[in-house]
Amino acid sequence: MLSPYGLDIIESCLTCKSRTERLFCDLPGPALQAFEGIKYATAYPKGAVLFVEGQAPRGIFVLCKGRVKLSICATDGKTLIVKIAEPGEVLGLSASVSGKPYELTAETIDPCQVNFVKRDDFLRFLKEQPDACFKVAEQLSEKYNTACHEVRSLGLSHSAGEKLAKLLLEWSSKNGEAAKQEPRLKLALTHEEIAQMIGTSRETVTRLFADLKKRQIVQAKGSTLIIRNKAALKLIASNN
Amino acid sequence: MESAIQQSCMESIERPDRLFCDLPTETLKAFDALKSTTECQRGTVLFREGSHCKGVLLLCEGRARLSVCSETSSRLTLRIAGPGEILGLSACLAGSAHEMTAELLDSTRVALVRRKDLMEFLHDHREACMKVVSLLSQDLHRAYDRVRSVGMGRGRRSRSTRVH
Repeated sequence: MLSPYGLDIIESCLTCKSRTERLFCDLPGPALQAFEGIKYATAYPKGAVLFVEGQAPRGIFVLCKGRVKLSICATDGKTLIVKIAEPGEVLGLSASVSGKPYELTAETIDPCQVNFVKRDDFLRFLKEQPDACFKVAEQLSEKYNTACHEVRSLGLSHSAGEKLAKLLLEWSSKNGEAAKQEPRLKLALTHEEIAQMIGTSRETVTRLFADLKKRQIVQAKGSTLIIRNKAALKLIASNN
Repeated sequence: MESAIQQSCMESIERPDRLFCDLPTETLKAFDALKSTTECQRGTVLFREGSHCKGVLLLCEGRARLSVCSETSSRLTLRIAGPGEILGLSACLAGSAHEMTAELLDSTRVALVRRKDLMEFLHDHREACMKVVSLLSQDLHRAYDRVRSVGMGRGRRSRSTRVH
């Protein structure tokens, strides 16, 4: 089924081809059947807000297609992007389990397909389906590890340059380019968004990129960034 | 760690006030059979960041400092864990290395459950699995609070007060 946002919507989890590759979705038959009965398949355009930090939890959002920006906001309006969620991730999980307000804001950065499950239905599902409960524990563990990594990166990096170098190396390793001499990565975020990921200003990110290009450490080709001198980038990342 | 002793969770009077410990009797008996309790001295490092996760540690009494380290060895305290908390849970479930260092701030009793035993226990006892999900949700909320305080600090000076 084609949606208005050009998405090829997967109506049923039972027929989803990506299911086996995804931590939460790869449930045994009975649990998957039960999940199918409580989820609502929805599609969102780019820029849609799924939930807002501080809002009472309505339920969970299983990201089927597209990417979602997860951010936290300070009282002065400063935004920090905690993570870019990828397909297969369950959003709003800890808030829905604990009943505490959502601790992040989730905004789509691509057209997305999302399976929404109401909180009461989800909690009942977890109590009745031990396999699903275990999967949720695994997802929460991964999210916790990511949050700790974020604290380390923000709190223990000495400069914005170091944080940017670490981010670029991390992205290149995720794309399976890490082993290459000159890894390539698609820059899907704006300088403003990259600044929000490393807790600095847009101007600083633009200046840092200009400096990296001038020193021939990176080279931009459209939205593709080529890391020309990986050793130099690693040196910046290790604060040397 | 010092001499191993056995103490039953069934005898604990604090049990009803602790999220994980307040399990149904049969489940608690099963957990009791898995754990080995050890007396540890203040300053004992329960596990180190990056080390292989062998199991979880239940803090029966006292406090533990959870911290992360940079390549240059500066340390940042994530939070202080208190009695009744399970340490090393996320690494154990994810099957990954410990993402932090846990160091005891008091001399205390610690119960150890091996990873393999914990996984089987959680598969067999859904109440315990739900408790673990609740604990991890709580941990995640605290971690995001820490991300907020560290990431939204006005500058290095405000953040450096928390670096040890």
